[in-house]
Amino acid sequence: MKATRFAALLIVVLVVAASSVTTNARMQSERTLAGEWLVTSSPINGETASPRGNTLGFPDRDMFFEENGDLRTGVVLREDAGPNVRPLGVWRINGNRFSTTFQLWCPDSNGPCGSIVMRGEFVRDDRIRGTMTAFFDVEDPRSPTGFDMWTFAFKGDLVAPAGTGAAQRAR
Amino acid sequence: MIGIEKRGMAILVSTMKRQRAVLIALALVLASATPAFGATKFDGRWTLMITIPESAASGNNRTFTVSVDASPRDGSLHGRTTIADAEGHTVGGAWRQVSKKVSVTYELPCTGDGPCATLILTGKIKSSGTKIRNGKVIVVWDTANDHNPALFDTSNGSFKGDRVQ
Repeated sequence: MKATRFAALLIVVLVVAASSVTTNARMQSERTLAGEWLVTSSPINGETASPRGNTLGFPDRDMFFEENGDLRTGVVLREDAGPNVRPLGVWRINGNRFSTTFQLWCPDSNGPCGSIVMRGEFVRDDRIRGTMTAFFDVEDPRSPTGFDMWTFAFKGDLVAPAGTGAAQRAR
Repeated sequence: MIGIEKRGMAILVSTMKRQRAVLIALALVLASATPAFGATKFDGRWTLMITIPESAASGNNRTFTVSVDASPRDGSLHGRTTIADAEGHTVGGAWRQVSKKVSVTYELPCTGDGPCATLILTGKIKSSGTKIRNGKVIVVWDTANDHNPALFDTSNGSFKGDRVQ
């Protein structure tokens, strides 16, 4: 009798545990960057420029991410610079963490250009934080990559989920 | 009088023939030059052979081939690409170009428990418009590293490219 009760209790415990794991996994797999985000950035340890003096400043950025199957694309809405200024990027997600990469928009072909890599995590479904690194097309033998690079922090808030009216203007 | 007219006509015809020859030569030069300028554009289909370390800590390299389909920039500074590997994964990428220098960035498809990373490829398109040689790759791994200025592990690799279409 005791053995039967113990077995029943064990089954209940296992079912609850399995259900909890499944719920957590589902919650994590449901994270998405799709939508429009307002991203603000700030220096780390007061570093406002790269070792070679290149900087992007710390402007707020309106970023729009889209997901179409395995194709995950992004665009920065640079309406401050012009209606057609839209740096392009891509992204991927792994549980609570994500990675995106963008090309910088460099209208002056004589100046340095580069690429951005963002590494971040979800604080909650509508809030992200992490770091961005700019890899400039400028050689720097002191850098581990051989190129001038500069890392700073960012945080972002979802302002329009995918498919909502505000997010559609990025299309 | 008629002799003078005949000589004048002969000179005129000779001059016209020379001008025509010069015009044909000029047209041929322009015709051959125009595709060369257009050919250094990155848009189109490429096969890239990329060599990067197997992981952030590995001393061994792996070489893999991807098919890149780069959409035209249509007056923008940037263009989109689709990048397909030999295993059938297709992901998106973004590219930019100044003169013959091209940069492509994309996220590696993450499969299984293997290390994942972001790739930044920079290279110069040869004058023929069909080859990229000695291209450089920056690999940004997903593994955190407080000792790296990027705060994540980074590696260097190389790539070469051949235009398919």
